[in-house]
Amino acid sequence: MIRDITLGQYYPGDSILHRLDPRIKILATLAYIILLFIVNEWIGFAACFVFLAVEVALSKVPLSYILRGLKVIFLVILFTFVLNLFMYDGEVLVRIWKLTITDQGLKRALFMAGRLILLIISSSILTFTTTPIQLTNGLERLMKPLSKIGVPSHEIAMMMSIALRFIPTLLDETDKIMKAQQARGADFESGNILHRAKQMIPILVPLFISAFRIAQDMALAMEARCYHGGQGRTSMTEMRFRTRDYITAVILLLFAAGIITLRVLI
Amino acid sequence: MDKTKLSTRRLIQGALIAAIYAVLTILLAPISYGPMQVRVSEALTILPALTPVGIPGLTIGCLLANLLGPYGIFDVVFGTLATLIATIGSYLLRDHDWLVPLPPVIANAIIVGGMLHFAYGVPGLWACMGWVGLGELIACYVIGLPLLKFLKRYKHIFE
Repeated sequence: MIRDITLGQYYPGDSILHRLDPRIKILATLAYIILLFIVNEWIGFAACFVFLAVEVALSKVPLSYILRGLKVIFLVILFTFVLNLFMYDGEVLVRIWKLTITDQGLKRALFMAGRLILLIISSSILTFTTTPIQLTNGLERLMKPLSKIGVPSHEIAMMMSIALRFIPTLLDETDKIMKAQQARGADFESGNILHRAKQMIPILVPLFISAFRIAQDMALAMEARCYHGGQGRTSMTEMRFRTRDYITAVILLLFAAGIITLRVLI
Repeated sequence: MDKTKLSTRRLIQGALIAAIYAVLTILLAPISYGPMQVRVSEALTILPALTPVGIPGLTIGCLLANLLGPYGIFDVVFGTLATLIATIGSYLLRDHDWLVPLPPVIANAIIVGGMLHFAYGVPGLWACMGWVGLGELIACYVIGLPLLKFLKRYKHIFE
């Protein structure tokens, strides 16, 4: 069961979006999401939709793959839609027993659900086209200016990469511990939620002890290879901005300017 | 030399705490995200009471788990912020076992509950906060508190 879990959502490919610098992709995703919240009219919303549709087409990630990601949160979208539908006053469109659907409610429900879907797809595009390692490297470089004010950006990025490296190892370890405890009569599948929650403890304690043993060995191995923190450390592939990254930045700025003008004018 | 030795080990311990948090969140994914979540990994927020490296470790773990999760960038920013505040709170209350699991309950109920309402448009601010808070309460007190007691027996591994 544990082996079926795919880590992250990276979809291997060689599209223009895959090749963009991770820094620009992180910043672009943040900017897009802020813009989604600035938009309050249908025209702006449509513009955001088209922008994302172009992005999806450029990423060459199959649509079915993207929609599968939405399935996980389908219930939340539905929940948001239905609740918004009945919550607002306005001209009554349909009346079912005591519940009424108004034009305002329908408008708001569609708007909220639409925004939620765009929000999820836009950040999925980032994780679909960027490997977790590229993401952490990108974050490290983006946080670099912060180290001047005392934020340990190298240490944070290092922890992130090591954690990513060890997630599959610890998944295996958890699997092993669960089987070992089941062999000793532990029962993870029955009982109410409180009972099941309590059953986690016999898994967690050995998991910790095993993880800290790994930490001990790894620290020793790193020091034996003269690891001494971030200073003067070089990397095998240096990140640098190329023409395509600058073009992306310009397109994004134009789009943002358009959306903001729209908001001011309407 | 001694100082770097300590910090390399601490660094890796933090990284592995982050990995454990992410593993538990991913493994139990259906109940880890959303308005009615019982994120079992939140039980780990008792760790700062045992070792200060739990603060960066759990914050990064939460960042990774949310980055890999289906909820997008808001969960990454606000969920991580909530965990950072919660772990600092737990660290400050480390001398009182019963209070250690309290900061994550409060921080997550307010920040994650608020986020679900304002950013994702789930109606009912108090309901959002209440449900997230209840989930945290189960994770932190039913699992977290006994875990703290057990791990205290193995205190030497955190050295």
